Amino acid sequence: MSDPALLSLAQAREVPPGELVQACRARIAEWQPRLNAFVELEESRTTGVPLAHKDMFYRAGREAACGSKILRGWIPGETSAALERLDAAGFADLGRLNMSEFAYGPTGHNEHFGDCRNPWNPECVTGGSSSGSGAAVAARLVFGALGSDTGGSVRLPAAACGITGLKTTWGRVSRHGAMPLSPSLDTVGPLARSAEDCAILLQAIAGFDARDPQSSREAVDDYLQDQRKSRIAISSDWIERNAEPEVAAAVLAAVKTLERNPIEVEPPDFDTLSAHCLVVMQAEASAQHARWMRERPGDYSSSVRARLESGFAIPASQYLEVLRLRRAALERFCAQTLGAADVYALPGIAIRVPTREETGPKGGERMPRLLADLTRLTRWVNYLGLPALAVPCGFDTRGLPLSLQLVGRPFAEATLLAAARAYQRATDWHRRAPV
Amino acid sequence: MTAKQWSGAAIEDALAAQGIALAPGRAERIARAQEALLGASAADPLLAMLEFQADPSGFLLALRKQE
Repeated sequence: MSDPALLSLAQAREVPPGELVQACRARIAEWQPRLNAFVELEESRTTGVPLAHKDMFYRAGREAACGSKILRGWIPGETSAALERLDAAGFADLGRLNMSEFAYGPTGHNEHFGDCRNPWNPECVTGGSSSGSGAAVAARLVFGALGSDTGGSVRLPAAACGITGLKTTWGRVSRHGAMPLSPSLDTVGPLARSAEDCAILLQAIAGFDARDPQSSREAVDDYLQDQRKSRIAISSDWIERNAEPEVAAAVLAAVKTLERNPIEVEPPDFDTLSAHCLVVMQAEASAQHARWMRERPGDYSSSVRARLESGFAIPASQYLEVLRLRRAALERFCAQTLGAADVYALPGIAIRVPTREETGPKGGERMPRLLADLTRLTRWVNYLGLPALAVPCGFDTRGLPLSLQLVGRPFAEATLLAAARAYQRATDWHRRAPV
Repeated sequence: MTAKQWSGAAIEDALAAQGIALAPGRAERIARAQEALLGASAADPLLAMLEFQADPSGFLLALRKQE
C-alpha cells in the first residue's frame, strides 16, 4: 500500500482508487488522539484523493457546528460551492475538521470541541481559525484541506504547522454555503503540503458563482503554469527590527533564495491597516451574531463573547469611513509598495509559534500582546482584499516551523504559486513532516 | 461619537441600547481596547485625502486583475 505521508497530491492522483483513503484513515486513527484535528469522520467516501474541510463548509444533510455550541447538531440544507467543486473533481472528503469557535480566534483554542494541537509540539498552538486544517495536513492525515481566511485564518495555521496555505483574493472563490464571519473580508482557500498542491486545489474551486454576490467574474488562470521570474519587494530593515531574530533570519534567507537582489521598499503601515481590518471585522461579526448575542450569550466561550461584545461599540460612521478608504489604501499598496515588483515578501508570523497556555484563558498579562503579535502581519492583507501565500521556510531552535508570506496584486494567485513552487524546488522545508 | 468619548459607562449604555448584556467587568476593558483601536484607525493620514465622492463600492473597481 502507498504511504500517504510520502506523496504529493499530484502523485496521489496516480494511485489506485481506494488505496489512499484506506491509508489515510489508518493515519487518522493513529494521530487523532494526539491532535484532535477531526470533529467527525466521513465514512462513506471510499475512492479519490483524501481531503477534509473546516467545519464551517456546509454539506447538505450533515452537521456543521462551526466550532460552536450554538450550532451543534445543526444540519444545513445545502452544500457549499467549494465542497461541490471538490466533489466534482473527484476528491474524497474524509470529514469535518476542528476550528476556532465561529472562526473568530487566531490560535486554535476551542472550549467546546477541545483545542486542536500542533503536530510538531502539542503544547504549541496550531494557529487559527482553520486549526484542524493546518494540523491534519501537516501530519499527513489528508492531502489538503479547505480553510477560510478573514484575518489570517488560513495563513496562521499554515505557518504554525509548517505547510503551505493560500489566502485567495476577495471574490476569487465562492463563499456560498460557507459560514459568514465578516463578509467584506471573508475568503476561502486551500491548505496543502506544497504550492503545487495548493494550485491543484485552487484550480478546482476558483471561479464565478452567481450564488455568492461578491463572486468575481475575473478569468481563472492556469495555476500550475510556470511564469516569468517574479520581482520581489521586501522591507528588510522593518523585518530585522520587528520580527523575532530566528523569524527574521529565516525569512530574509528565503527571499535571497528567490531573488539575490530583492527591491527594498518602505513597508505598508501594517498596524493602521490592521486596525482598519479589525474595525470592519468586529462590526460585521457582531452584526452577524446580534440575535444570538441577545438571546443566548452564555453559549459562547468567554473569549468569543468578549470579541463580539467589542463589535457593538464600533460607531457606524467609522465602520463606513474605513470601507470608503479601502480603495485608496489598495491603490497605494499596489503603486507605492509593490511598485515595479510582483510580490511583497514578509514573515507569516513575526514571532515564534507560542504555546497554547500562554495564548489561552490562563495566559495572563502577556496574552493580549501575544495575540496581537500573532496576527500583526496577516490582517492588513484582508483589509486590502489581496491574495497571500504562507510557505514554510525553516524551523526555530525548538523545532517549530517558520513561515514566509508572499503577497500579490489582486487575482495574482498564479504569480504567488509560481514563486513558491520555484522556492520549493530549491528547498525541502515543505517535505518535512512531524513524526 | 469619537474614540476619546468612550468610557465604561458609555459602553454599557451603548450596548444596552442594542440589547446586549455585558459580561461582568467587561465595560471598562472594552472602553480601553476600543479607544486604542478606533484611535489607531482614525489616525490614518490617508483619511485626510479621502475624496468626498468615495464610497465603499469603489473598492470593487480597484480590486481588478492588473496585468
